[in-house]
Amino acid sequence: MDTLLTADIMANSPRVRRRSSVYVDAIHDLPEKEVMAPAQLYSTESGRLFHSGRIVIATVGLPARGKTHISVALARYLRWLGVKTHVFHLGDYRRATMGPGTDVPKDYFHINASPSSVLLRNKILKKCREDIFHFLDHENGQVAIYDAVNAISEGRRALAKEFAKHQVQTLFIESHCTDERIIEDNVRNVKISSPDYKGWSDELAVKDYLARLSARIPHFETMEEQDLHWVKLINAGERVVVNNCAFGYLSQRIVFYLLNLHTKPRQTYFARAGTTKHEDSYKADAALSEEGKDYARKLTERLIKHREQERQALIDRGGPENALVPMTVWTSTRRRTIETGQYFAKNGYAVIPRSQMSQMNPGVCEKMSEKRIRTEYPDEVIKHEADPYHHRYPRAESYHDLAVRLEPIILELEREQNDVLIIAHESVLRVLYGYLMACNAADIPKIEFPRDEIIEIIPASYNNEAKRIHISDVPENIIPGSPENISIPVPPSVPPSVPQSGAITPLPLPSGAGTPVSGSQSPAVPEPGSRPAGTPFTVPQPLNLKDTHIDPSS
Amino acid sequence: MTRTPTGDLIRPNRKTNGVGVQAEDTRICVVMVGLPARGKSLIAQKVTRYLHWLSIPSKIFNVGQYRRSETPAPSASFFATSNPEGERLRRAAAEAAVNDMIKWFQRGAGLIAILDATNSTKERRRWIQNRCAAEGIQTMFVESKCDDPDLIMSNIREVKATSPDYKGQDPEVAAQDFLARIQNYEKVYETIDEDELDLTYVKLIDVGQRVIINQIKDYLQSRVVYYLMNLHIKPRSIWLSRHGESTFNLEGKIGGDADISERGEAYARSLPDLVRRCGDGRKLTVWTSTLKRTIQTARFLTFEKLEWKALDELDSGVCDGLTYADIEEQYPEDFKARDEDKYNYRYLGGESYRDVVIRLEPIIMELERSENILIVTHQAILRCIYAYFMNVAQEKSPWMEVPLHTLIKLTPKAYSTHEERLKADIPAVSTWRGKGSSAKHAEPTDEERNSMGKNVGSGH
Repeated sequence: MDTLLTADIMANSPRVRRRSSVYVDAIHDLPEKEVMAPAQLYSTESGRLFHSGRIVIATVGLPARGKTHISVALARYLRWLGVKTHVFHLGDYRRATMGPGTDVPKDYFHINASPSSVLLRNKILKKCREDIFHFLDHENGQVAIYDAVNAISEGRRALAKEFAKHQVQTLFIESHCTDERIIEDNVRNVKISSPDYKGWSDELAVKDYLARLSARIPHFETMEEQDLHWVKLINAGERVVVNNCAFGYLSQRIVFYLLNLHTKPRQTYFARAGTTKHEDSYKADAALSEEGKDYARKLTERLIKHREQERQALIDRGGPENALVPMTVWTSTRRRTIETGQYFAKNGYAVIPRSQMSQMNPGVCEKMSEKRIRTEYPDEVIKHEADPYHHRYPRAESYHDLAVRLEPIILELEREQNDVLIIAHESVLRVLYGYLMACNAADIPKIEFPRDEIIEIIPASYNNEAKRIHISDVPENIIPGSPENISIPVPPSVPPSVPQSGAITPLPLPSGAGTPVSGSQSPAVPEPGSRPAGTPFTVPQPLNLKDTHIDPSS
Repeated sequence: MTRTPTGDLIRPNRKTNGVGVQAEDTRICVVMVGLPARGKSLIAQKVTRYLHWLSIPSKIFNVGQYRRSETPAPSASFFATSNPEGERLRRAAAEAAVNDMIKWFQRGAGLIAILDATNSTKERRRWIQNRCAAEGIQTMFVESKCDDPDLIMSNIREVKATSPDYKGQDPEVAAQDFLARIQNYEKVYETIDEDELDLTYVKLIDVGQRVIINQIKDYLQSRVVYYLMNLHIKPRSIWLSRHGESTFNLEGKIGGDADISERGEAYARSLPDLVRRCGDGRKLTVWTSTLKRTIQTARFLTFEKLEWKALDELDSGVCDGLTYADIEEQYPEDFKARDEDKYNYRYLGGESYRDVVIRLEPIIMELERSENILIVTHQAILRCIYAYFMNVAQEKSPWMEVPLHTLIKLTPKAYSTHEERLKADIPAVSTWRGKGSSAKHAEPTDEERNSMGKNVGSGH
């Protein structure tokens, strides 16, 4: 990545950070080379998939139309499919060039800008474009997403022409709003997370933003160019016009994804299902035990309380009475997850069972102890340890199989307007979390979901944030357990270290507990909280996440 | 999307279909809209075939067929708006089709119905929308709009002159009558416009040059739109061939990444000539898998070549490199289980046919978009691709005989896919094994051949 950014931009672009932890949304990290993406079906030597060439996706639209959100969401999906994608936010380059606290000249966006503004504009554009070419030419990049306003038809033509000279196709995506409410909502959302307004008061930020819409960018031409490739999303996807886009599988696939995308903010919560009477059996599809029912009640109470606190906080900040969007609960069709959701149903929430969210099939490993698996399938264990994400035990599913099976759920999750609580098996939570936080495939089998925590994913246009909500009084013995899981080498979750003050705990240490060290001496059942000596942390210390929306640049 | 009512918690644990399409809550009526000769029936058929291939039950309700039972060979004047009798009969046909469709949904027979008719007025579309809404069925209107006279005329010549309405008539007279019929429709035709913004619709303008998509309500609808956008109606063919005989074929082993045998090499050398004989000089693109035997087989062809990982042979897991006899001996239960449900059987650590269909989906989409393609691939892969184009049922497709050293040419037509087979005069072993038969490759008997080949010959 260092080749991509000059030092000054690097210094001022905190968003572009190295992949550091599964607890940080890695969508702005550069894709790593030679690593299969979570749902990638095949790989090619060039690294380019679907026999599509290289594509630049250029956004078109005035500020507060959700361009950044669309760019980031699309990058997330394309990377999930294994397409090497990177987002280039022109705003980042603008800020990096200007330095902190300095704004661009007032006429920066004007057609008849002063020569010095034009010079500045060209300098910033050139830098961004050079980085795009570098990514495509030297980093095996396939799709570069160029997040900018691209307001004028003439400029768009010139852009497409320049990329065409380098054998790169240009696909424009315009976000067009005729509904003022959507724009206002977007302003509200963008001002919270955009670094442009770091340190501004809410009121000033909104005012400035609205002023910017009319004054800073007085000229805007919606896309009508017959000869260019473009997609126009009207009112956040209510209506979509696709022009001349039949130039590749990938372009059509992008349109397919955009059909399911919306730009309204909403939360996703993850929670484990309760424990059952027959923990070790996959086929039995057992009902919840008394302990499991007790857990389900506590989970329900905790989340409802949390949402009430959130609502109150929003009202205190001047939000309306119905400040929260409604919440829907999704479970798998397995009995334990449906029964865990029943207390939500009793409280009036819609609970929808979804068959694709069934846990990973353990195949022949069902009801087997780790020791027995090691004895009976020593070769499989070696293969599994080499690639726990892609390996499947006989008759079992791999995480990769699960990811491919979950793709429709991911699109439905993008489509959903309500907040969603997902109650599912840990294997399913891992894969969905991996998508939302752009995790490496290799990290996904290791992500932990202890039962005494609800994970909340807060979307923002730049990147998603994860936060954990502690559930108190969950019996120690059921916190880590995932015994119905393939017991090796995917470890059951360990309990969190020490709960911190307040309801929100820090993320648990990503422990290697339970991961067998090569050889066969690892303990069959790890002591809670223990970590085999000598196992280094594979992931650095996670961030401590606060109870609020977090400015990622802080 | 219909929501499960709160409280209705435990529902039957339905199997997901192969692609995991979340289809269980959704019933959709796809309503075709467009003047005659705009490719509506073609689209309707392709969509059902695609949905079948993905294990989503669907059916076409063609209003023309209902009307034909009353008026077998009408002249253009029947379609004049000034002809009240014609108008009444056409209305009755539409009602009969919609009634049958609703009954079909009520029986739980399927998830997607396609109502194939011109549906050319706002009033008619509103009526369909209301009928479906009353039954909790979503509607999705698909309009094919095209004003290119050449495209329309070529469609008329190719399709309509052979339509049941013109059976036994002079094709030129038939075409002229058909043009007159279209003119009658044009008088009342209303394209889908701003008045209908509350409807879910897709408007395909000039064969996908521009597409307008309005109010897509759920994932399954978006998936159908995605497929529609990949379709084109330019005439083309697809050629399918297995790799030349491999050394593994000679030993009766499955899987692996073996070289082609001497006879396989001879097939590879003869392939350019074989393609020339049935390719009428068209420029093709060659797709192979990433395995040696397909790349070696295609290497004398002078066209552009692409290697697809997705075209690699079905992964036979632990059985890779074994003969059927070995498998029967080492994994007797698996050998039997595979015979019982070959489509769903997944080799230990490997793949099932269902798995292969999922991974081939991008290939099918790309094939729909492309023009003339020659695919050199493997037995199981070829069966799945063939099943898509020829609408072969899942119980049958894994058992089809696809002999070595044979070039298959498929030409999609409006109402079916036309098939030609060209055998190279180079002997090869058979790699076919009948259901429940002994653990060795065999030549199918004539009777077996008949039961797999002849009843799958049409795209219907």
